[in-house]
Amino acid sequence: MSVGGSTAAGTPEGALPGPTAPPTPGATPATALKKGRRPNPRIAQFKRTWYFLSRNTLALIGLAILIFFIGVALSQFVPTAHPLPKDSLQLYCGTYTGEGGGNFQQLSPGECNVVCTYASNTAPTAPNCYAVDPLNPANVPPTDNLAHLAGGPLPLGSLTISSDGNLFYSIYDGFLVGAQWSLFISVTIVLAGAGIGLALGALAGYLGGYVDEFIMRITDIFLSIPGLLLVLVVLAAIGHLFSTLEGRVGILIGAFIVVWWPGYTRVVRGQVLVTREQKYVEASRASGAKTGRIILHHIVPNSLYPVFVQLSLDVGAIPLLIGGITFLGYQIFPTVYFPEWGTMSALAITILPSALTACQIATAGSPCAFPWWQLLFPGLIVFMFAIAVNFLSDGLRDAFDPRLRR
Amino acid sequence: MRMWIYIVRRLLLLLPVIIGVMTITFVLISTLSTTEKLESYYGPSKYGYAPTIDCPPPSTQQCPNPAYVRGVHALGLNQPIYVQWLQYMKNSLTLNWGDTDHGSKASGTLLGGSSLPVTTVLSYYLPYTLELATFSLLLILAISIPLGNYSAVYRNRPLDQATRVMSFSGFALPGFLLALLLLLGATVLAGQFTQICNGQATPYFQFYGSWPPNACYPSGIPPTWIGTYSQTSPTGFPTIDALIHHNWFLAWESVKRQILPAITIAYGSVAGILRFVRNSMLEVMNLDFIRTARSKGVAESVVIRKHAGRNSLNVTITVLGLTFAGFIGGFAIIEDVFGLKGIGLLLAYSIQPSIDFGLVFGTTLLFTIIVVAANIIVDILYAYLDPRVRLG
Repeated sequence: MSVGGSTAAGTPEGALPGPTAPPTPGATPATALKKGRRPNPRIAQFKRTWYFLSRNTLALIGLAILIFFIGVALSQFVPTAHPLPKDSLQLYCGTYTGEGGGNFQQLSPGECNVVCTYASNTAPTAPNCYAVDPLNPANVPPTDNLAHLAGGPLPLGSLTISSDGNLFYSIYDGFLVGAQWSLFISVTIVLAGAGIGLALGALAGYLGGYVDEFIMRITDIFLSIPGLLLVLVVLAAIGHLFSTLEGRVGILIGAFIVVWWPGYTRVVRGQVLVTREQKYVEASRASGAKTGRIILHHIVPNSLYPVFVQLSLDVGAIPLLIGGITFLGYQIFPTVYFPEWGTMSALAITILPSALTACQIATAGSPCAFPWWQLLFPGLIVFMFAIAVNFLSDGLRDAFDPRLRR
Repeated sequence: MRMWIYIVRRLLLLLPVIIGVMTITFVLISTLSTTEKLESYYGPSKYGYAPTIDCPPPSTQQCPNPAYVRGVHALGLNQPIYVQWLQYMKNSLTLNWGDTDHGSKASGTLLGGSSLPVTTVLSYYLPYTLELATFSLLLILAISIPLGNYSAVYRNRPLDQATRVMSFSGFALPGFLLALLLLLGATVLAGQFTQICNGQATPYFQFYGSWPPNACYPSGIPPTWIGTYSQTSPTGFPTIDALIHHNWFLAWESVKRQILPAITIAYGSVAGILRFVRNSMLEVMNLDFIRTARSKGVAESVVIRKHAGRNSLNVTITVLGLTFAGFIGGFAIIEDVFGLKGIGLLLAYSIQPSIDFGLVFGTTLLFTIIVVAANIIVDILYAYLDPRVRLG
């Protein structure tokens, strides 16, 4: 093996320690710099993180699921012949009229499709008919049998949204359209919360003293109120001022930001307390950099990683919390059937008992089919999203934290 | 520093937090209009609380609304904002949190349509929540400490991975969904959707509600000390009350009815604690004294249990305090699903159909006090357990 051969290969690892090409002080500085150039430390760190992340199976699974969800959200921007409405789902409605496969009657013309039912062993009576349980027409089971459908969207499993059991929408539509809203709401909340937390935490941690004391005491106050409660209280107090879609979504995001920033502030401050003692910060201070510059260029970029982990963890929790609030009976969005994953999963549970009761009354006590998909699929969507995010964030934490890598 | 000085100091530091929380609720209340405040305080009125109403028939002009004028003066709503704030503080600190409203389900369903002082109502419902919290806490500790220790010892083995997935699923599963699934599972496993009590089919889930339906009592009627809202029981803690009354049936029933809620709560919050136990255990396992213990020939199980486990406990206790805020917030949902008469249910019912502000803010304040108190207890425990901690 020859030393010259390895240098000729031109790998940076081979070039740097090689005795054949030492960066002599007398040589032209530009070429010396170019030759011995190390990769940008942040890119190097990213590569390192990615390396550790890619060895973590669970994190990769999480990443894959997350990319799928993002793809679903983005796919809604692709123009199609039958675009789904963005803010309200198509409702299917009707009343049960006859025995053994009666028709649904259209309730409000122009808004709902006429949906008729027929027992699955008989022939469809008209186009747009879905094979459903004649005893319980609101429950359209998940199906991929498109044979008898002349047109119109197929409700891939229904979600009953009225307690009398005759108003429902497609869970599949809710999943598609909800992807946009859920991701948008979660990411906005978390980014805004992290932004505020980063600014305040960096200030508190770096400046210390009274500023630190002041900011952290306020943070403590916010942190001592249970999160779900604080969202609920904020929404209860100022939610009624808004009735439009934009207003309702805006106030929801605002209420969550109020809850979210203190956690980030605390995390960032803890990290900044470590960062500010580093040599490079000292060097920067010694060379006369102003406080603002130090915070912006040194403290904040180097305190980002715990924020990143926390951020990825929190994105998944937001649909769960929104579901919790909906479950408690607070109507967050202007319409009950607003396509959002958390709302959807909560709706399935709040409506189910009354819909079952209504069905039993309508069918004079005979047992109604239990619509298992109404519980399973909305819950599964929220669950998959949250768990994917958790896997990824756990992988990130392991990858960022050198103590856990071993 | 002496321990009692530390405790007193921590208690004094509690004051600004409580004042801060009350200020937040005050700011939120300030966004309500005067009319809404009056309506919330006095309940619905025939003429409403608008500043002006139509004058009596001969005149077609607007006259000042007497209800509005009277209310504004009585509540001091015409005072400057800082005077109102001081008044609010004084009332809050003296536990004068107003009366419950008629508009919400809390008043209609839980209180029988009557209006009671918020403080009284909360004092009826608080013990139940505390008992449930204690059960859940015990369950969380019983699950997370051994599992966390084992997954640290058997790091990256199948057991660790399984624990990891399990704890994540607890984090990702919505509480209401898990609660309902448990309820369904329990009823299906019990083999019946209706409970047969004294020969009668009772259409309730078997594990639903804080007390069994009337027909299920051995005598057919519930004991008199279980009131609907005015608890005539001595302590308010259901199991303890039943034991005091020597009612073994009810004591067992009340424990049984808290098993599923406790599992739901524990499953949701074990995730975070388990991770912390595991990580702190991993850190402790690499310390010198563990190596010393091993090299002097102490059995591995003793090393793990006595040397490492004991030392990683400190971190666990800290985390437990931090997660307490998270898990007590979930009580509203859990108690709503299981129909348990705690402050969570009170909160859940007080926001629909119309919002009972007195009850909502009162509950929030109470929850906050519980969380802060838990944090202080944890800090004191931490200082007691770990002699290296500086009291300051």
